[in-house]
Amino acid sequence: MAFTSARSIRRTNPITLVLGFVLFLGFVLFLLTPSTPSSPASSLPRPQPKGSRPPIRHFQLNNVTTTGDPIGNEERVLILTPMVKFYQEYWDNLLKLSYPHELIELGFILPKDRNGAIALKKLDAAVKKVQSGPKKNRFKGVTIMRQDFDSTVSQVEKERHALKAQTERRAAMARARNSLLFTTIGTETAWVLWLDADMVETPHSLIQDLASHNRPVIVPNCFQRYKENGVDAIRPYDYNSWAESDIALDMAKKMGPDDVIYEGYTDMPTYRPLMAMIYKENPGTDIHEEMELDGVGGTALLVKADVHRDGAMFPPFSFYHLIETEGFAKMAKRLQYKLYGLPNYLVYHYNE
Amino acid sequence: MATFAAIVLLLIFPSFRELVFPSTGLGTFQDDPRYSTIRHFDLSEYGGTARGWEHGERILMCVPLRDAEAHLPMFFAHMRNFTYPHHLIDLAFLVSDSKDNTMARLKEMLEELQNDPDENMPYGDISLIEKDFGQKVKQDVENRHGFAAQAPRRKTMAQARNWLLSAALRPYHSWVYWRDADVETAPPTILEDLMRHNKDVIVPNVWRPLPDWLGGEQPYDLNSWQESETALALAETLDEDAVIVEGYAEYATWRPHLAYLRDPYGDPDVEMEIDGVGGVSILAKAKVFRAGCHFPAFSFEKHAETEGFGKMAKRMKFSVVGLPHYTIWHLYEPSADDIKYMERMEEERKNKERQEALEREKQEQLNHHWDSNSKEQWEKDRKGMAQVPEEGEEAAPAEVKKPKKLKEVR
Repeated sequence: MAFTSARSIRRTNPITLVLGFVLFLGFVLFLLTPSTPSSPASSLPRPQPKGSRPPIRHFQLNNVTTTGDPIGNEERVLILTPMVKFYQEYWDNLLKLSYPHELIELGFILPKDRNGAIALKKLDAAVKKVQSGPKKNRFKGVTIMRQDFDSTVSQVEKERHALKAQTERRAAMARARNSLLFTTIGTETAWVLWLDADMVETPHSLIQDLASHNRPVIVPNCFQRYKENGVDAIRPYDYNSWAESDIALDMAKKMGPDDVIYEGYTDMPTYRPLMAMIYKENPGTDIHEEMELDGVGGTALLVKADVHRDGAMFPPFSFYHLIETEGFAKMAKRLQYKLYGLPNYLVYHYNE
Repeated sequence: MATFAAIVLLLIFPSFRELVFPSTGLGTFQDDPRYSTIRHFDLSEYGGTARGWEHGERILMCVPLRDAEAHLPMFFAHMRNFTYPHHLIDLAFLVSDSKDNTMARLKEMLEELQNDPDENMPYGDISLIEKDFGQKVKQDVENRHGFAAQAPRRKTMAQARNWLLSAALRPYHSWVYWRDADVETAPPTILEDLMRHNKDVIVPNVWRPLPDWLGGEQPYDLNSWQESETALALAETLDEDAVIVEGYAEYATWRPHLAYLRDPYGDPDVEMEIDGVGGVSILAKAKVFRAGCHFPAFSFEKHAETEGFGKMAKRMKFSVVGLPHYTIWHLYEPSADDIKYMERMEEERKNKERQEALEREKQEQLNHHWDSNSKEQWEKDRKGMAQVPEEGEEAAPAEVKKPKKLKEVR
């Protein structure tokens, strides 16, 4: 017996031995690698497979605070970004935010098309790098989603009517924002920071600065850097933060139910006091000076989670002749919340 | 040989694929098992189809509760019977402003459900959420249904529903099912029955059983209706914050109600387009809520809560449908008027019984003592019987018939 087995080993092809060894190694590695879908380390909810009998979770939403001292109270911030294009400057700025990263969750939504796929690839790589890097830079969790509807405005509409195309574009944007918001806002979320993918420069203390005002909704002033005759200059970018005017209200009364008023169209002068123009015409120095607003832009926008939980969303339809972030402002007001802007607190948009 | 080993390795570790074919990372949209803090979802995979149970589509079941301890045993009897695969249903409960033991009792019953030896019994993820909104209106039937209380009550209910949904909705949910705890009778196949219609928002007809003396049955949920010209004209005249509520004389809307169109022998699959929906049992595709549709806690087109939800869903071009001949039954809770009426009925019943007993006794005595026929005995009996109604007088002062009948006998 011993003789035959010894002979069979001798006769065995070395390739078989190598292959056997490789398989053995693979098996050992397989045993050692933790299976992730049920990883207990993850705080992110995932679908539960059959038979998992997950523990019942109990949440006290009465105890979630949203205060002017968010770090002191360890308040969780959800940063939400609808993304069509990945800007490295946006990412670098995001990583530099000084709010403790372990209190921040990120959420991204991208269109399901070629542009979205390109942005996704870059975003994925960037996210993986930071989530496997030094512990203090890692975020609490990251959710990346592909949207379930088409957001490209048809060429026909673009040509036929600029306003119609604008409505289509803003409605798609609103839907993307809502999809992102309502699937990622959790039981522990205290604040939601909306930060557009083309916001490339903000103060590092953006979250603390805005939260310190302890307002339900607060928006900084969004500008853009550019060169004028080789000299650095800035100009207003986001015109969606404004206070209401009687002229615009009168205009709204004469409109059809689906018509929307937009800022920045010469054939639609609203004479609303625009936050962007207030700084441009009379720049102040106190960055914490507030003004009350009736419409807000979403390029950078801090919202108490309760405002969204009560139902304030981004209407993808004409709501009081307003849409998307401006419609959100109106809905928040209908829910008895007040909105504020900081005309002298500047954040910067990418310049194409 | 090396290639063979590589293929074997790739089969074991799909994540190594990236090293070999970095380009395929673009096409696949999957979580990398090495990063537990990153997750990916393609929302188009969670759109919801007519036969969701065959595709492993997950339902988020939302149940708002307030002082509902008494209804929980009945509710859990339904929970055990749902035929939709339980592990595909995530549960979310919101307990708000409760004075009774709802939360403790709920936890206890959920633990029991989740630890059932039958492996088809446990549900998926379960979240219990506590949040008080400072209810100003008391939750008893009389207060709940008074006209003046409606608008503030509906707004707070809407707020509660929105908090519950936003806390529990995840990217991987394809459907959301809203169910009240006080449903008495519903088919265990209700989820599949509603889902089969493949509508964005769908509700059954909701009736309630009544005691026989009230007619046996009655439409319960009047919030599922089709819009009418009269109501639209009425809405125009109302203040921005006014809320139209159905079923009150104050607002005559002449809307066709789902409830009144029921034919007990009608085809349960018949659909009816509606504009307002009732909240007792709503099945909606998750994408409706993802798109931003919610329960307005303010007056939206002169409506709030579930009726406002229907209005908003229509505004966002979603299909909203009711099934007039598919009926579920809400628990019958008598109103204060009903209770008074029932007390009166009970008194009458008792008096009647007493009267009958008297009659019987009298008859017996007549039969028994007819022979003796002594005047003395007759007088004695008469007095004795005349006292009996007097004893009952406190309960039934209106009843004076008995002595009269005795006179007749005499």
